[in-house]
Amino acid sequence: MIEPVHLADFFTVFFSAAMVILFGALYALLFAFSRVGQRPGLMPLAYLSYLGLAAAALILARAANLHGPFWTPVVGLMLAGYLAAPHFIFRLCVDTHLVEDADESSLFPTRQGG
Amino acid sequence: MAALGIFDTANLNGGQRLAVKYFTVSLILFGAQILFGMLAGLQYLKPDFLYEVVDFSVNRTLHVNAMVVWLLYGFIGGVYWLLEDEAQHPVVGLWLGNLIFFILTLAVAVVVLVYLIIQVGPGEIESIWFINEGREYIEAPRWADIGIVVSVLVFFFNVAATFAKGRYTGVAGVLVADLLALFGLYLAGMFFTPNVSVDQFWWWWVIHLWVEATWEVLVGCIMAYMLIVTLGVRRKIVETWLYIEVALMFGSGILGLGHHYFWIGTPDYWLAIGGFFSALEPIPLVAMVVHAVFDSGVHKLRNSNHPALAWTIGQAAGNFFGAGVWGFMHTLPQINLYTHGTQWTPSHGHLAFFGAYSTAVIGFFYLAVQKSRGNVWMSGNIVGGWKWKWAMFWLWTGMIGMTVALLIAGYEQSQIERAMEGSTWMGYFAAQAHPWFTQAMNWRQISGWGFTLGYCLLVWDLLTIGKRETRPALAPQGEPATA
Repeated sequence: MIEPVHLADFFTVFFSAAMVILFGALYALLFAFSRVGQRPGLMPLAYLSYLGLAAAALILARAANLHGPFWTPVVGLMLAGYLAAPHFIFRLCVDTHLVEDADESSLFPTRQGG
Repeated sequence: MAALGIFDTANLNGGQRLAVKYFTVSLILFGAQILFGMLAGLQYLKPDFLYEVVDFSVNRTLHVNAMVVWLLYGFIGGVYWLLEDEAQHPVVGLWLGNLIFFILTLAVAVVVLVYLIIQVGPGEIESIWFINEGREYIEAPRWADIGIVVSVLVFFFNVAATFAKGRYTGVAGVLVADLLALFGLYLAGMFFTPNVSVDQFWWWWVIHLWVEATWEVLVGCIMAYMLIVTLGVRRKIVETWLYIEVALMFGSGILGLGHHYFWIGTPDYWLAIGGFFSALEPIPLVAMVVHAVFDSGVHKLRNSNHPALAWTIGQAAGNFFGAGVWGFMHTLPQINLYTHGTQWTPSHGHLAFFGAYSTAVIGFFYLAVQKSRGNVWMSGNIVGGWKWKWAMFWLWTGMIGMTVALLIAGYEQSQIERAMEGSTWMGYFAAQAHPWFTQAMNWRQISGWGFTLGYCLLVWDLLTIGKRETRPALAPQGEPATA
């Protein structure tokens, strides 16, 4: 089921796994800033971050022996999920703000804290 | 309502007065967690320190158990705090809630005293019932276990009955269902079987489903309220995201538990299940980043309580790094084989628990202080505002320092003890004596002092913030009808 990581690849695994998450966050951050601030110039940087994420995921897959009929599709799913998640979530953000009732303000009519 | 800046429980409703009691004990237990953690850390550096007075095993038990209990107190306090506002009805059975608070607190004190007084002895049926159940993280004796279950049941009754008589919102629905799970899952840790694998299988339900799944949803509910009152986020948006969180928990979080079943003798398919869902777990974190940017763009971060919002933002960041980055670095079975049970685990555990839970409870402390002082100003230019900022700085700096030090120690252990020496006793001692390990333990202790300083500042700040303020709280800005 699994082939353990070789000693020489320990650092590669830890580092590439961390980079998967950090590039993922950077991709999401730049994607969202580009859309919210209407700054299309940031979008290529967002996809560049995604490329970084993909590279980190592929390095992780090689170092952690994620190959074979089970692990290869897992890596593919991970990459597809990362690519699609910001798009879906941004759409959801927009839609949840659109459908709200204008008169439904918040818990407290006075909007006082605490 | 009393004058601004004066601490007066007349400013609070019944549920909030009870919440303040829970918050007070929670803060004290937070201090106890730090104290016993520091003692245990010192014993890594000087193994003879307090030997046969308060042994390492006792310090560690108290460190971990104090964490579980102070967070639980914080969450219960948080729910009582929001209950009457949310249900728009006085808490049903408040006297029972108060009674249980005192019984539970007395029971916690007795359990701690017994841990300290009876540190060694035979493991028998009587010791399981009255001294220590003997299972890591859930050492509480059986009588205390029963007490916890009864307390949670009363808590469930208070919450469910209040919502039933008052307004039943989306947050209420999620909260009531979650409290039922909070009660039910704890039962899985109250029996044991002679088969260690079977025993561990159920034990993890309490350690991970109870602490990670039900607590995550509980935090989701109280943070939903926090966003409504500090930022003025609309209910429909908050509830939509709460439902998404619950869906993600059912979709991936529960089976993500599989990464704790890798090495306890469960069938091989847990490697596949745990590995698969662990690989997909970071995707919701990416979603969280998008949502955070979207909402901050809408609200411009105008808020009624700067310290509470700062800790809320810290919660998002801490959850991302502690659970996300630190978790994913060693969660796949191919590498977890070497890291599981080394200092990698506490490195991840420290940052994840502090990031995901402690920050949320501290944020609620500030919400409680604000209203207790007559809903006083706690936005920009707070009088004596340096204290909350420096408390936050030292708590975070100390925590990051401990996390990185433990990471270095764990990295060394995974290489020398596990990979090179094959998990032998020789390997264990070789790794413990290595300079990377001993130096890391020193840095962990130094960082722990920084964290302790942050705690002292936090307590000082909570006792004094808003005292000299004469301005009323800023109303959070509502968002436009369309984004």
